[in-house]
Amino acid sequence: MAVGVDIGGTFTDLVGYRDGKIRLSKTLSTPADPTEGVARSLDAAGLEIAELDEFLHGTTVAINTVLERKGAMTAFVTTEGFRDIYEIGRGNRPENFNIFFHRPRPLVPRDRCYELRERMNARGEALVALDQDEVRRLGAQLEADGVQAVAICLLHSYANPAHEILVARLLRAAHPQLFVTASHEILREFREYERSSTTVLNAYVGPRARDYLQRLEAHLSDQGFRGAIQIMRSNGGSMSLRNAAAQPVSMMESGPVAGMIGAGQLAGLLGLSSAIGFDMGGTTAKAALLTDGAAAIEEGYFIGGYATGQPMQLPVVDIVEVGAGGGSVAWRDPAGGLHVGPRSAGAEPGPACYGRGGTEPTVTDANLVLGRLNAQRFLGGGMPLDAACAGKAIEDMARPLGLSLSAAAAGIVRIADAAMALAVRAVSVKKGVDPRDAAMIAFGGAGPLHAVALAREIYVPRVVIPKLPGNFSALGMLLSAWRHDSVRTLVGIVGKLDPKQVGLAYDELIAAARKQLAADSVDAERAAFAFAADLRYRGQEHAITVPVAGADAFARSEEAVRARFHELHELRYGHAAAEETIEIVNVRLTVTVARDDPELRGYLGAPFHAEDPRPEQKRDVVFDDAEQPLATRILWRPGLAPGFRFEGPAVIEEPNSTTLVFPGNLAEITAHGHIVITL
Amino acid sequence: MKPDPITLEVVGNSLVAYAEEMAEALCKSAYNMMIYEVRDFCCGLIDTEGRMICQNAGGLPIFLADLGIAVKDGIDRYGLDGFAPGDVVIMNHAQVCGQHLNNVVVYTPCFHEGKVVAFAASRAHWVDVGGLRTGFGNVQTTEIFHEGLQLRSIKIYEAGERNDGVWQVITDNIRFPESSLGDLRAQIACCQLGGRRLGELLSRYSLATARACIAEQWDQAEHEARAVVASIPDGRYTAESWLDNDGRRIDTRLRVKVTVIVDGTNMIIDYSEMNEQVPSPLNSGYSGGLAAARVAFKALTMPDAPVNEGCFRPLELISPEGTMLNARPPAALGLWSISLPTVIDTILKALAPAMPERIPAAHKGDMGGCSFYGYRKDTGTRFVLMNIFGGGWGGRPHEDGEDASVSICQGDVRNTPVELQEVHFPFILECHRLRPDSGGPGKYRGGLGLEIRYRALQECTVNINLERTLDPPWGVNGGASGVVNRCVIRRANGEERDVKKESNVPLEAGDTVTFLTAGGGGYGDPLERARELIERDIALGYVGREGAARDYGDGNWTTSRRSGTAG
Repeated sequence: MAVGVDIGGTFTDLVGYRDGKIRLSKTLSTPADPTEGVARSLDAAGLEIAELDEFLHGTTVAINTVLERKGAMTAFVTTEGFRDIYEIGRGNRPENFNIFFHRPRPLVPRDRCYELRERMNARGEALVALDQDEVRRLGAQLEADGVQAVAICLLHSYANPAHEILVARLLRAAHPQLFVTASHEILREFREYERSSTTVLNAYVGPRARDYLQRLEAHLSDQGFRGAIQIMRSNGGSMSLRNAAAQPVSMMESGPVAGMIGAGQLAGLLGLSSAIGFDMGGTTAKAALLTDGAAAIEEGYFIGGYATGQPMQLPVVDIVEVGAGGGSVAWRDPAGGLHVGPRSAGAEPGPACYGRGGTEPTVTDANLVLGRLNAQRFLGGGMPLDAACAGKAIEDMARPLGLSLSAAAAGIVRIADAAMALAVRAVSVKKGVDPRDAAMIAFGGAGPLHAVALAREIYVPRVVIPKLPGNFSALGMLLSAWRHDSVRTLVGIVGKLDPKQVGLAYDELIAAARKQLAADSVDAERAAFAFAADLRYRGQEHAITVPVAGADAFARSEEAVRARFHELHELRYGHAAAEETIEIVNVRLTVTVARDDPELRGYLGAPFHAEDPRPEQKRDVVFDDAEQPLATRILWRPGLAPGFRFEGPAVIEEPNSTTLVFPGNLAEITAHGHIVITL
Repeated sequence: MKPDPITLEVVGNSLVAYAEEMAEALCKSAYNMMIYEVRDFCCGLIDTEGRMICQNAGGLPIFLADLGIAVKDGIDRYGLDGFAPGDVVIMNHAQVCGQHLNNVVVYTPCFHEGKVVAFAASRAHWVDVGGLRTGFGNVQTTEIFHEGLQLRSIKIYEAGERNDGVWQVITDNIRFPESSLGDLRAQIACCQLGGRRLGELLSRYSLATARACIAEQWDQAEHEARAVVASIPDGRYTAESWLDNDGRRIDTRLRVKVTVIVDGTNMIIDYSEMNEQVPSPLNSGYSGGLAAARVAFKALTMPDAPVNEGCFRPLELISPEGTMLNARPPAALGLWSISLPTVIDTILKALAPAMPERIPAAHKGDMGGCSFYGYRKDTGTRFVLMNIFGGGWGGRPHEDGEDASVSICQGDVRNTPVELQEVHFPFILECHRLRPDSGGPGKYRGGLGLEIRYRALQECTVNINLERTLDPPWGVNGGASGVVNRCVIRRANGEERDVKKESNVPLEAGDTVTFLTAGGGGYGDPLERARELIERDIALGYVGREGAARDYGDGNWTTSRRSGTAG
């Protein structure tokens, strides 16, 4: 059996699969010890570790190490004259009018930043040779200071990493206990601050992430696990545990990506060329654009937010996150404004209706008060909700606003919906996709409950609720491929490029990917190689990543490359300039290897058979008018057969999620068991 | 009709999001680093009376007074009925806009049910608009006609048809038409996007509801700002500081004198005693002075809230014509923004005694940048290298000032990566590092400036526009001054000299130019500085031993290397 385990801020979700059979669990997270959470979720699913062949895992250990600043004692090594480049950063002040702003706080203090006498120029020619004795002295110094990890980032190492290679080799040989990262091992892209920061992040989280992974491995193997452990990485693919331990920075967004991978596959299956994946859990809501069955990938982001966060220049599934989840707390400002989030009640104490001591009103409380949630069927009946506590929490907050309980609850949901709608729109319009031409694929415990309201807000005409929406992220892990992304800076004018030079750059990337395939024991025969280039009009700075036919695309079909770039520029920014010079900045390679289990890969497209039918219920549910609840059909999803059609208002309940269908919407169960709602 | 709090929140958030979306579209497809790196642009929605509905949050804070003024000129000229869908208006006229001509406003009318209901506008710094020399900020100009092409509320597209005559005039009169016309395309696309989004909002919520929400948002912002002003003791507060010179009369300092009058919930900022206008490009029009007053006001009252017209209702400006902040035409405006960081700091300085817990010491006080230009020897193409440097910010009531950050007039403005500069331009950077001992001593020390050294690999030219090399970033509440800005040119033969304001300085291969940026002023008595902070500064090399002995008394500092967790 293969299992995927996704540890979120509120819930831990598990999906197991073997021979067409699915096992599920959804349990409250245990922030103190994630390995205990893993054990508990296996237990709840009735699974023994010894019967598992494969374990896929998304973890927040890397990102939490950074956010909590609990990483290793790390040193930073760079070129003479540039000791402070990491601390200086870009000098910007995103909080424009704040005269008490803070810059990003470096993870390495200045007395652990070191210079080496050496210098490359932009063409990768050594202007000053590296002095090996100086490196050896530095190593002794680091050891004497008790440094645990070191990040090496030398100027222009993306063009020629020879000096970095030498420094890393000397330090590793002399100090095997030191966690050494050289920037070219992580990325070969220019911009020294972002590359330095990415390298420092890897070193900083390295020892702790390695410990976590070793503990997980030991925990599983102690109980008889003999299979492979795969870790989700920010780019939406998986990697071996060993690779994760060497490059933990690439699992920074390990948690939220898997669901979007699953949603992308579903979009492909349904023939939706543009779709928006929408995932709403207990703590946050996330949205990503899915084009032709794949989630958009962004080259880098800021950990801890743009204004004061640490830049990480690695591919990450382009997910927009807003602090709106089922647990988001509603509050009142002194001027009488009503707001929701970003603070979440989390798993402890959780929403008021969990009856675990929470007294602040949350989105989940509001949904319960509006009749949208069934107090007796939450988590398959495993966790009954307390409507009285929910009502009291909302009334206490809303009384000074002069709103009725029902109006306040409806207001809380509407504000959360509006915030999420902006995020959902941001992922689509940012890429030039009009939401009116897209479908939404909604999942996460709370996603199906809010999806139709969001879709109405931004004119998305169709909403799809997949099978197992409440465990969809864990399912996505089982559907994801092994993946390796790489990049190499290569600046030149398209049309004047030496095709041989471009070919060489791609060859380097291919060789590095093959090495990684071998190291992870992945079958290279089944690997798919996707080539791309970052292009821009000469004079622009921001480039667009354009897929190209192969390593020889520039030699063979430069016209096709140009045409594709103009087209993408027009799509994304609303204008293009066919007569202008195009510049290349980077070449990229993505290697993927799909899971070697066609039946599991095809799970989302497998025929669905209804089981466990239950009688339809009726209850009053608030839709648009807070004071006029509608008598509404309550349907039990597992018992709805393919082809079943119905019109809203309706509530569709299932063990780990609830779908709300508004009046006038048409819903249908597809042959594969997904719900398609037409607005 | 007063909107319900929920609709208000939804519409308000949407408008802010639209401005950000417009900014993203402009920034990502722009052609010059002044836009994509320096973020020298702003965009947003303007109502039919020229008032600001919403504006993007990043970029330069000083663009608080320029979109509305520019749009208003077009409304006066064409009338609201004189716009058609597909119109695009271009505008940089000095007398109206009050800024250097590089700042080009482009806007489009937004229609709803056949009527103009708003304008989507963007203002971006073009790399060149013609004139005496490449780029901008040449100190030799004395009137606006030296500084390039002026375009006053001209429809460059009429109902979707391009005005080829105007297009040709622009193409033939600027130095980098490929770049600037690319920026123009990006600006137009940005405005069209804003118009589309507004249309979607109006079809969802109706014009009446949207207008009611906008009005209510302004009222709420005004209410919030007034509450803060009310908390400042009433009174008349004055402060003075000095700029080095106007760039031509090198020995004549320029007085920056402001009076701030707080009266209940109103604040008046009075520039009556400001230096008179100068026969050089260090002037701004009325909007420059207004922008400075607004930045100071916003920073003091509600720094985190989105910008709209209501934020500034409690503020009145007195800015007589003929001063360097409201210069009469045809004054040159090329360096219009150079005085603004000092003006803003001086407003804060005036108020410091009234609100000591809310005002930091002075920051570096200049715009801090360089521009090198010439023809590349290898390709023969023209190049301009521009970069913006950070410097120290003043110590604060409860913590040290920040190091190496851009000025108060620059927000989300980033320096240019060393590697990127060396890829594109014929220079080697020899260092880019903090400048130890540059922060003003105080209970809370001023932040550090920077040291950046360029070595030219071929002949080229540099413009240097240093300010505040004489009047240092001041301390407050007993804190001492930071160290002033400096620039040194060292010839390949070893000759060395300081440069302050000079244009078209020729460089040969091997010459170096070193920029040393100012540190921030200190806050509070240096002798009250905590011992552990002094020892940390010495251990980390922010302050040298000698400096520490001079500034903080000759303590017996324990400064063994620190080891411990990061941070």
